[in-house]
Amino acid sequence: MSQLNQGLTLFLSLLVEATPFLLLGVAFSSLLAVLVDERKLIAYTPKNPVLAAISGSLFGCLFPVCECGNVPVARRLLMQGAPSALAIGFLLAAPTVNPIVFWATWVAFRDQPAMVFWRVGLTILISVTIACVFSVQKDMRPFLQPAIARYLPNPDPKPEPALVGSGSSLLSGGDFLLQSTGTLKLDQPMMATLGATTALPQQSWHDKAQAVLEMMLQEFRELGAVLVFGSAIAATVQVAIPREWILALGQGPITSILAMMLLAWVVSICSTVDSFFALSFSSLFTSGSILAFLVFGPMIDLKNISLLLTTFKGRAVMYLFVLAAQLTFVLTLAVNSYTSW
Amino acid sequence: MKRMLHWPTVWDTLALLLWGLMLLRYWWSGRLAVLLHPDYHWLAIGAGWVLVGMGLWRGVTLFRPSPASANPGAHIALLPRQWSLMVLLAIAVFGLIYVPRPFASEAALARGIADPVALTRSQPQQFARQTPPAERSLIDWIRTLNVYPEPDAYTDQPVNVTGFVIHPPQWDDNYLMVARFVLTCCAADAYPVGLPVALTGDRTEFPPDSWISVQGAMQTETLDGQRRLVIAPQEVLTVPEPQNPYEF
Repeated sequence: MSQLNQGLTLFLSLLVEATPFLLLGVAFSSLLAVLVDERKLIAYTPKNPVLAAISGSLFGCLFPVCECGNVPVARRLLMQGAPSALAIGFLLAAPTVNPIVFWATWVAFRDQPAMVFWRVGLTILISVTIACVFSVQKDMRPFLQPAIARYLPNPDPKPEPALVGSGSSLLSGGDFLLQSTGTLKLDQPMMATLGATTALPQQSWHDKAQAVLEMMLQEFRELGAVLVFGSAIAATVQVAIPREWILALGQGPITSILAMMLLAWVVSICSTVDSFFALSFSSLFTSGSILAFLVFGPMIDLKNISLLLTTFKGRAVMYLFVLAAQLTFVLTLAVNSYTSW
Repeated sequence: MKRMLHWPTVWDTLALLLWGLMLLRYWWSGRLAVLLHPDYHWLAIGAGWVLVGMGLWRGVTLFRPSPASANPGAHIALLPRQWSLMVLLAIAVFGLIYVPRPFASEAALARGIADPVALTRSQPQQFARQTPPAERSLIDWIRTLNVYPEPDAYTDQPVNVTGFVIHPPQWDDNYLMVARFVLTCCAADAYPVGLPVALTGDRTEFPPDSWISVQGAMQTETLDGQRRLVIAPQEVLTVPEPQNPYEF
C-alpha cells in the first residue's frame, strides 16, 4: 500500500511540475505557427553549410518548440527553400536549444547546473555534425516524401524567374497559370510561387488569437496524454522494479547509457518536461547516462519517428537515427569516462 | 432546426477545467507542498489558472451559433483525439479525488537510508554558511558530515532536529532513525537523509512514520559494524506532521 502511495505521489508530482512547462511550450509553438513568417527568416540566413547548420541549431532560441512542433517547422523551412543543413540543424537541436527547455532543465537540476550546459553543448555539437553530413547531399529531394519533394527547388544553378514577363522564357516547359498580372509558373519553389501571388487574405487579430488558442488546445490534448503515460512509466519503474536491479544497470558506464537511451526512445516524453522525468533517475544512474537521455530523447524517439516519416523517407530517418544514436553514445561515454562530473 | 450540443467541445471544456481545478485544488488544500519545492508553487498555480481560462474560452464556443473550427493545418495527430481526451479526463478526476501523501519510512528504507555510505547524492556547488550545531536541521547535519565525516569531531555538540521515525530492521530495538526527505525540485527527486538516535528505552514507543523532535548531544557509536554519529537524546517529543514535510 505504501508503495502504491509512493508511486502515485511521484506520478502526480511529475505531472504538476511538468504541466506549466508543457503549457508554455505549446503556447510558444502555436504563436509561432500562426504569427511568424519563416520565409523572411530564411532570407537572412547564411548559405555556407557549416554556418547554416550552426544557425539552424540555434534557431530554437527563436522557435521554442518541442520535438513535436519542430517537424512541421522544419518541413516548412525545407519547402520554402532553406538549405538542408539549416533545416536538419533546426530539426535536431531546436527541441533542446531553446529558452524554455533551458529553464526547465535548470529548475530540475538545480543541484547540478553543469547538466544544463552539457546538455545544450552536446546537442549543438551533434546537430551541427549531422547537419554538415546531410549538407553533402546537395539535392535533398530523394530523402523526402514525394509530396514534400515536389515543392523543393532544383539545386541546378540556373534559377528561373517565377513571373514570366518576356516571350522568350515562355519557351521553358512546365505548368503555367495565366493571371491578369502575368504568367505564373506552377512548378517553381513554394517560396517563389507564394511570393509572386497576391497577398494572402489578412486575418484579423481576433481570428489569429482564436487560431493560436485552438492550436494550443490541440497540442496540449495530445502532449498532455503522452506526458501522463511518461510520468506513469517513470513512477512505476522507480517503485516497482527492485532497487538492486536498477543500481546494477545504472552504475555501469556503458549499460547505464544504453538503458537511458532506450528509455528516452520508448518514453517519447516532450523535451520541455523530460528533465523532470530524468531527474527521478539521477540518483541511481551515471551522470553521462542522464545526459544521454536528455540529448538523444528530443532528437529521435518513438513518437517523433512517425512525425519524421511524414516528411522524410525511411532511409533518411534511419540515417538520422543511427548518426544521432552513435554520436550521443560516444560523447556521453566520454563524459562518463573522462570527467569526474 | 434544434441546436445540437457539440460533444467534442464539451469534452475539451471539461478536460481543461478539471485539469486546472486539479492543480488549483492542491494549492487550496495545501497539498502542493507534498508534491513540489515551494519555489515552484507559483508555476503550478499559474498553469492551473491558465487551464481554467482556456476551459472557459472553450466553453464559450458552445453557446456560439457555430463552434470554432479553425485548424492551422500543420498538426499531425499521434493519438486519436478521443483517447487523449479520455486519458486527460480520467487523470484529472483521479487527481481531484486522491490526496497525495508524503513519502514515508518504507520508501526511505527502500532507498537505502540505513546505509551510511550513501549519505547524500547532492554535489554541493556552493559554500554553505556555518550554522551553529543546535540550529542545524537534519540536512544541515548530513551536509556537514559530507564535508568532514569523522564522527568524533562532533562529540558533545548540541543537536535539535525534527523528522519522522524509521525502524531499520537490522538495528537493535533501542535504536531508531530520525529522518526527512530532501527535495530539490519535486517529489520525483526526493531522497532521504537521517541520523540514528540511541534511546534509553524501547523504540516501539515511537512507531514508524510518527513525527518526533529530538534534543540531545552527539556521540560516536558502533552501529551495524560501522562507527557512526549517533544522537544521545535528552528529550524526545512526539510532534504533529509539519505543513511542509520536506527539507531543501
